[in-house]
Amino acid sequence: MSLQTAIGLLMACATFSQTAVAQQVPTDDGPPDFNRQVRPILAKHCYACHGMDDKTREADLRLDTLDGSRQAIEPGDPEASEVWLRVISDDEDLRMPPADAHPALDQNSLDILKRWIESGAEYELHWALRPTRTVSVPLVNDKTWPRGPIDCFVLSRLEAAGLSPASPAAPTALLRRVYMDLIGVPPTPEQADRFAADPSDTHYQQIVDHLLASPQYGERFARPWLDLARYSDTNGYEKDRPRTIWPYRNWVIDAINQDMPFDQFSIEQLAGDMLPDATEQQRIATGFHRNTMLNEEGGIDPLEYRFYAMVDRVATTGTVWMGLTTVCAQCHTHKFDPITHHDYYALMALMDSADEPEMNADSPQVISQRKQIQEQIANLEEQTIEQLDLLNAKTDKPSASAYATWKHQQLSQTIAWATVPPQSMKSTMPRLETLADGSVLASGDATKRDVYTLTMPPLATDDPITAIRIEALAHPSLPSNGPGLAFYEGRRGDFFLSEIRITTEQGSVELDIGSTSVPNAKKGNGKTFPGNVLDENGSTGWSIPGGSGQSHRLVLPLKQATRLDQPWTIELLFERHYVAGLGHFRIDVTGDKNPAASALPSDLQFELAQSPQPLPADLDQQLATQYLRLSPAMAEQRKPIDQLRRRLPGETRTLVMKQRPADFHRETMLRHRGEYLQAREVVPPRIPTIFQRPHSKQPSDRLELAQWLVSDGNPLVGRVTANRSWRLFFGSGIVQTAGDFGTQSLPPTHPDLMDYLDARLRDRSPRGDAWSLKRLHREIVLSATYRQAVGSPPDRDPDNQLLSVFPYHRYDAERIRDSMLRSAGLLSQQVGGPSVYPPQPKAVVALAWGNAPWPVANGANRYRRSLYTFSKRTAPFAAAVTFDAPSGEQCLARRDSSTTPLQALTLLNDAMFVEIAGKLAEDTLRECRQQTPNPSPEQIASTLFRRVLIRQPSDDELKAFVDFFQQQSQHPNPWMLVARVLLNTDEAITTP
Amino acid sequence: MTNIDTTLQDITRRQLFQTCGVGLGKISLASMLASQLSGSAQAADQPLADGLHHPARAKRVIYLFMAGAPSQLDLFDYKPKLKELEGKPIPPSVIAGQRYAFIQPDAAVLAPRFEFAKHGESGVELASTLPHLATVVDDLAFIRSVHTDQFNHSPAQLFVNTGSGIPGRPAMGSWLSYGIGSLASDLPGFVVMHSSGNVSGGAAMWSNGFLPGQHQGVPFRSSGDPILHVANPKGIDRDTQQATVELLGKLNRKRANALGIDEVNARIESYEMAFRMQSRAPELMDLSQESEDTLKLYGTSANDRGSFAKNCLLARRMAERGVRFIQLYHSGWDHHSNVEGGVKGQCKQTDQACAALIKDLKQQGMLEDTLVVWGGEFGRTPMVEASAALGRSLGRDHHPQAYTMWMAGGGIKNGQTIGKTDELGFHPVEQPVHVHDIQATILHQLGINHERLTFSHAGRNYRLTDVHGHVVQELVA
Repeated sequence: MSLQTAIGLLMACATFSQTAVAQQVPTDDGPPDFNRQVRPILAKHCYACHGMDDKTREADLRLDTLDGSRQAIEPGDPEASEVWLRVISDDEDLRMPPADAHPALDQNSLDILKRWIESGAEYELHWALRPTRTVSVPLVNDKTWPRGPIDCFVLSRLEAAGLSPASPAAPTALLRRVYMDLIGVPPTPEQADRFAADPSDTHYQQIVDHLLASPQYGERFARPWLDLARYSDTNGYEKDRPRTIWPYRNWVIDAINQDMPFDQFSIEQLAGDMLPDATEQQRIATGFHRNTMLNEEGGIDPLEYRFYAMVDRVATTGTVWMGLTTVCAQCHTHKFDPITHHDYYALMALMDSADEPEMNADSPQVISQRKQIQEQIANLEEQTIEQLDLLNAKTDKPSASAYATWKHQQLSQTIAWATVPPQSMKSTMPRLETLADGSVLASGDATKRDVYTLTMPPLATDDPITAIRIEALAHPSLPSNGPGLAFYEGRRGDFFLSEIRITTEQGSVELDIGSTSVPNAKKGNGKTFPGNVLDENGSTGWSIPGGSGQSHRLVLPLKQATRLDQPWTIELLFERHYVAGLGHFRIDVTGDKNPAASALPSDLQFELAQSPQPLPADLDQQLATQYLRLSPAMAEQRKPIDQLRRRLPGETRTLVMKQRPADFHRETMLRHRGEYLQAREVVPPRIPTIFQRPHSKQPSDRLELAQWLVSDGNPLVGRVTANRSWRLFFGSGIVQTAGDFGTQSLPPTHPDLMDYLDARLRDRSPRGDAWSLKRLHREIVLSATYRQAVGSPPDRDPDNQLLSVFPYHRYDAERIRDSMLRSAGLLSQQVGGPSVYPPQPKAVVALAWGNAPWPVANGANRYRRSLYTFSKRTAPFAAAVTFDAPSGEQCLARRDSSTTPLQALTLLNDAMFVEIAGKLAEDTLRECRQQTPNPSPEQIASTLFRRVLIRQPSDDELKAFVDFFQQQSQHPNPWMLVARVLLNTDEAITTP
Repeated sequence: MTNIDTTLQDITRRQLFQTCGVGLGKISLASMLASQLSGSAQAADQPLADGLHHPARAKRVIYLFMAGAPSQLDLFDYKPKLKELEGKPIPPSVIAGQRYAFIQPDAAVLAPRFEFAKHGESGVELASTLPHLATVVDDLAFIRSVHTDQFNHSPAQLFVNTGSGIPGRPAMGSWLSYGIGSLASDLPGFVVMHSSGNVSGGAAMWSNGFLPGQHQGVPFRSSGDPILHVANPKGIDRDTQQATVELLGKLNRKRANALGIDEVNARIESYEMAFRMQSRAPELMDLSQESEDTLKLYGTSANDRGSFAKNCLLARRMAERGVRFIQLYHSGWDHHSNVEGGVKGQCKQTDQACAALIKDLKQQGMLEDTLVVWGGEFGRTPMVEASAALGRSLGRDHHPQAYTMWMAGGGIKNGQTIGKTDELGFHPVEQPVHVHDIQATILHQLGINHERLTFSHAGRNYRLTDVHGHVVQELVA
């Protein structure tokens, strides 16, 4: 494009836009439409100071309500209305809006305002907040064109504007379009030929129904939903470490493929855990709101980032189910939309009382595989013990005598411990509860410095107490099975016991440096040495290095054996630069003279202590198993067993929501100016005032919120959902400000169509869609509107708002890559599963923190559909981001569609696309040679062309490619070069 | 917003950048404004001499981002009182209610690790680790009272760049690209480079956020291919590439004409520009065109694989070639332990090059319209950080309450120091300058009123400075 063209284009755009504005000016002198014409003027010029925010309201005048406005408006009489006199005033000091920062109203706005006051200055609820009107399908002049109601609505506006629809798209173009739109990949040329031979309506419908039933439909429509869900495979912020939440993505794909009604689809994602007898799948669905980011940077305040996650949840819920921007109300009452500062925190309160655990999401296959290997391990251990003859007291095998010596030593050290469940407990933050076995489980929030205070019951023991034992225990409710509460920055499931204090009414009980089952806990080791918990230095302590899910023991002897026959207290301090409280632990005491920590599991210790000598066979077997696992003498014998153990499949733990019990309700505080540190009064849960209806039950928790969001009580949800679907097919919505249906949004281009689709989507009668998005999608692609040829909109409608042609638009990043993989015959058919790593230069992730790996996949995973590409928030897949794919950091209702030189560089030079071009050429040559031994360049060029663009090439086009091929014939792979040109054409990446 | 701004917003959002945008900020709000105002054609890629809202003092910015947060107390803000109090806790009256990342509030004071001396006519005090910067102090303006809202790296780095601690807002460079466009037709308008490790804020720091995609920052590497995919693939030479782009142009033009769709022209132009970038980028990176003296001045060499010094020289070359916003990240300033050794090491890597950049720009006559900014995301505590479990000693923790930045060139009043902290270096006591004020001032120097450069997104007009920020008038020459 030359400079002159660029300027021409600029000027043209500016002119078109003015025309578009001019179209909205009514030509009659009747009363203006409040919502379409008056409110935008009031919102833009008046509401900032005379809106619903009483904090910023000037002169105690509000113009957003009828009552408020009457102070300054005399219905029917502009000259007696202060508002009118002020906006037309020549006096700078009197004129509204104030001259300093605001422009005066233009003539057009003044006209509208005047006519509005003259006609009585009536207010109407913002159109999107009104219940759906019953609309009748409009009558149209051209009875032949419409195929259904959608077309009547579109045609009626076209006819009113003196426009007519475009001719139908060519069958091949239509077929490619509907394949790309419904399943995200193009048809084969053969499929296109079959349709071209019979482009009947019946045939088209059959194809559409076939596509809607294809598993690829779910993959296609999962992607825009994942944009809204801000799905990512990493935690975000600085460290941006991986997380496991792909089971949630699987759920989305499956739910869409099953055509789960949108209301159920919504409820399960927002509150699946709260449904009666919630299934595993319903709980996995709650991953929707676990897609918030997690800051793992050292030293953060975890509760501050939890608050930001809640802010994100409120914003996302507002965008997805209400089409409203709530973010302003985080800091102050919304200037334009009817959501107050209080409303915002009340909405947050509806979702706030939940914990955020992981849950096992192993498939049945993995579970049985694991069980099988565990059995093999047990068998092999048993066999080894038998082979070594360990249990035979009579043998003189050296192995058996070594075991006997070890056993003797263990038994001599085995002492009786008694578990003491605390009488009462409190902590600075987590909730502590006693389990049936006397152990303590922590849940809820935690900070970087938590203190647990355990009040212990008086002990009526014969002997004075010589030691207490703290046993850290794994638990499935804890991060990575525990035993600690660490869920960020440190290893998941880590803990750090900094200090211990035991007191009685007489004062502190002096403790000795004891012992621990943690190996190598030598003096000087700041993380394991038992003396660390007594040194009054918070930065040293006791913890369990290595993997998560282990159990270990810390034994602290009392300097002087003491009868603890009065209530006594244990105080545990956990202090680290991340959350490090113990999640599951048990307190035991002993009166034994030589208390020490044993490496044996405490249950076994307990049984050994109770058992008569010699040991019964089963106990001896258990002890021998421990010998096999622990003794250095058994290192060689352990090797095959450890090998088996390494084959145990890892656990898939996905992120879910879990409602807190009623007695552990989290209170939500209003935050002044939206700032975390400025907590003010407690705000009870409720929906925004504007939506409250007298005599109907108001939602009071997350499940009820979810149910309300998809009920008829929420006037927005049907419109927002229908609009989103519409945009997926036409590139822009009926309301073009995607994600925002507030008073600042553009009015719908087809208000009646909007309401028709809304009503139909929610209609549960046999004629309605009953929240089936498949039915809605079907109706859209079967319409004549959708089947129009692509083209340039007329001058009178430069934005193509009236849809007199099918709108040209570029495909999203995923469909660009997937369609090319498909054309090259590479695309993997596998649906679901963990994320994969297609090729990209190392330089992309090298920019992110911590040298994250990008292990490029080989085999089928190299060619999976793009929605399975590992999504790293701080270094998103470059080829996708370049084409405006999101990073997953925020809920995204509409992607941008830019055109940049970086896109050209990517499609031309990215090794991934060059590889696709190479395989496309290779596969095409193979195909051609199967048909004729010596295919002509024309045949090959034509086959290549059709694989990418599906339609038949024109003679000129064919010649251009063959010429190019001949010109490049010195190149070792000229057909790859031809394929590369094809993949780079505008047509390859835009709507046919 | 003025009437015209509003109209432009509408055009911009609804039309231009979705349909006519050709990329990398070539079409700017400014050029549109100009053509609207004058009613005549103005080149889209010709900068507005007069700025967007008022006369511009700078045409471009070189932002030296010291990631990790340098210790102002060991570089710029000399506090003898800390020597006196070393080993004693800070009075609770000073630090009550403050949150820290790692240390406990009762941590003891740590004295400055270096000697300080006065330099230049302005008599600015600098630590002995900055011998080169000492030679250019009269060209700089120091701000010793910068403060921020964030006390962790990732949010604080995002906050400096985007005005918000949460990812998702447009970066400063994207705002500039959106507001005043690019000066280059064959290079991106917003370039990011980094040296010495990676950065906490990640790609969100040069993201276009909700602004149109062509305003995203483009990461450049200082060795190898400077831009991702800017080199031809293996086995494809320049002639083939040219023939490819020409054939694409021919096919796409035909399509544009057949369908009557102007947007296809934007794609044609994007391929032509990409092709131009392919030759322009290697030329930019080729330091063999620079004299031995220049290389020596910066402390780099022809076979330098990517030091901060090399990036500084490349920044000057980009500035010459019309890149609007050049941001160099240098990591490694996060000295939780051994702040003395850490600062010394970092100064060795950066001090000479920073001074060289100022001298070189001055010599080329570019300093007057190039705004150079130096700074991190927050400061470091007067208190010592030590931890047995983390193996840390004699370090300093994060300190958002007060830190030092400097600026030079681009209409900044040089040879002065703005703001003052208390005798412990804990809080500003004179003229506190918030990060939003720094942002407002940078935009101001480029002829932009930070309150008027807005973008309507999700029902609200957003701007770089959120609802805050004041231009620091004392900094404006």
